[in-house]
Amino acid sequence: MMTGSSKNHRDYPDLLAGGLMTGLGALGLWAGRDLAFGTPAMMGSGFLPNVLCGVLIAIGLFVFLKAMTKSYEPIGDSNIKPLLILIAAIAGFAFLAESFGFVVSTVWLLVIGSLADQESRWKEIAVSTLLLTAFGALVFIYGLGVQMPVLPF
Amino acid sequence: MAFLDVLMLGFSEAFTPTNLLFCFIGALLGTLIGVLPGIGPTATVAILLPVTFFLPPLGALIMLAGIFYGAQYGGSTTAILVNLPGEASAVVTAIDGYQMARKGRAGAALAIAALGSFFAGTVATIGLAVAGPTLSSFALSFGPAEYVALCIFGLLAATILAHGSVVKAIGMVCLGLVLGMVGIDVNSGATRLTFGSTELYDGIDFVVIAVGLFGVAEIASNLEFKEARGVLQSTIGRLWPTRQEFKESWAAVLRGTAVGTILGVLPGGGATLSAFSAYSVEKKISKTPEKFGHGAIAGVAGPEAANNAGAQSSFIPLLTLGIPSNSIMAMMLGAMTIHGITPGPSVIQNQPELFWGLVASMWLGNAMLLVINLPLIGIWVRLLKVPYRLLYPAILLFCCIGVYSVNNRGFDVALVILFGILGYVLRKAKCEAGPLLLGFVLGPLLETNLRRALLLSQGDPLVFVERPISAVLLLITAGMLLTLILPAIRKGRKEAFEASED
Repeated sequence: MMTGSSKNHRDYPDLLAGGLMTGLGALGLWAGRDLAFGTPAMMGSGFLPNVLCGVLIAIGLFVFLKAMTKSYEPIGDSNIKPLLILIAAIAGFAFLAESFGFVVSTVWLLVIGSLADQESRWKEIAVSTLLLTAFGALVFIYGLGVQMPVLPF
Repeated sequence: MAFLDVLMLGFSEAFTPTNLLFCFIGALLGTLIGVLPGIGPTATVAILLPVTFFLPPLGALIMLAGIFYGAQYGGSTTAILVNLPGEASAVVTAIDGYQMARKGRAGAALAIAALGSFFAGTVATIGLAVAGPTLSSFALSFGPAEYVALCIFGLLAATILAHGSVVKAIGMVCLGLVLGMVGIDVNSGATRLTFGSTELYDGIDFVVIAVGLFGVAEIASNLEFKEARGVLQSTIGRLWPTRQEFKESWAAVLRGTAVGTILGVLPGGGATLSAFSAYSVEKKISKTPEKFGHGAIAGVAGPEAANNAGAQSSFIPLLTLGIPSNSIMAMMLGAMTIHGITPGPSVIQNQPELFWGLVASMWLGNAMLLVINLPLIGIWVRLLKVPYRLLYPAILLFCCIGVYSVNNRGFDVALVILFGILGYVLRKAKCEAGPLLLGFVLGPLLETNLRRALLLSQGDPLVFVERPISAVLLLITAGMLLTLILPAIRKGRKEAFEASED
């Protein structure tokens, strides 16, 4: 990037990193606002969390401000669709596991999760879901004794 | 002689049928994972961690260690045959290994890699056996101040030696430390940073963070774009290297072993750093440096020996001081804690069968890997053709069930989503998740000892400088941070890592 306009002066991954750290640090300070700070000799429960969140915010701001002056760097191509599908698959599993049991939750996880790949084919999904569900039930529930009902009833 | 006695104890532990089996399963799984591109050893150990909770402590550690060094072997197979390194430490092996494969000498490259790794693994394991008791008896005299200094040294050194921006890595360490403080504070009983959720009173489980950051986030970024596939060199050629090839590689193996054993001990070191350093050493020392990049066998032998030696010797700080040097060691620490073992100097004294059993099994595992890798190479080659879309649903299932089984509740699985998103965003922001995990596992140790040290000194921070060991450690840490500010060294570090970006 040879054109010297201000647009081309930002390191976007660093802006993201700095923003993230500052945000999470602030969230931590807010969540720990009622904790006792104490003194170094008698540290309260909030001493280290608050100090560390402060450091996190400071580092975040430093990274963020420095990124404004750094040479241009893009975040790179992103495709968040697979991530969103994976989230839906895992969330379903988390919600279904305790009440509806292994088979229902695993079938949901595998079928929805398989859609995250652009090249997925229904036939393959059906076969792999069947095999993995059977394998998982045998190994984890019967073999290793994971405490999860197998079927909803 | 006492050394022989403990070694006998170790081998008698490692040679029980069940432990041999765990060792074999670990080495086999590790090779499998190492061979398959797109899933690294860190993710594998994270995913299989919950499975090992059902095993006895020694069996669990033996299997996890097997997965780790098995992945080092397997990664080089993919690097040599397809030019796609199965994991980071095999990146340099791909440079000359793949060129050898194109010349029809894949067999020799694989054999030298395996034999060099075995030799290096043996030497580094002996190093662990010798250094372990010495270091741990030294560390037994550590008080709270020393432990605080050791934690700070370990955490900051790891950020300096790791890839990428040091400032961002220190930020990640802080974030990890904060995450480690979620839950009920053992000293005051106050609930910290739980956002009112009773499920978080016991803190965030280590497995949740590891699986989210390394498992789910890795799948999500692997699926972003269509698979990149290398061209498989199908002819492996004669396995046994020629006399000339042996002559060119034995010295490289020796140097690689030395480099790996030493660098593996350092915080942030381990297999990857060792392999890169060994490659540059070989290139510098060689009489024919122009051959490097065009199939120089020394460029395979040195880094391969180094990455395996580094993988073994990175156990030294964990088993003797209780300080993990990289994210895989952080997971080993997590596994030990879950089995009720506090890693540190007392392990060798109080549970010698655990330490020596693990050491002996590492050597056995390395021997098994020779068998798993060389005669069975054909099977691994065929595995390379399995597409990722058939693999990742299985990985996903292991992730979810594994996390569920820790506390038998869906809440933890839901929490994985948060860390999966965090891991994905961190990748986009070019932040390493490794330092976060190190901060998370060391957080409680750091806080407990910091409180104790300052309570004993009545709030006087000078206690860290007055005690010699802690003063030296802090001085080294300060020195390392200072050198980063000096431009010359910063440039050198950048160059060292730029080679690894390609």
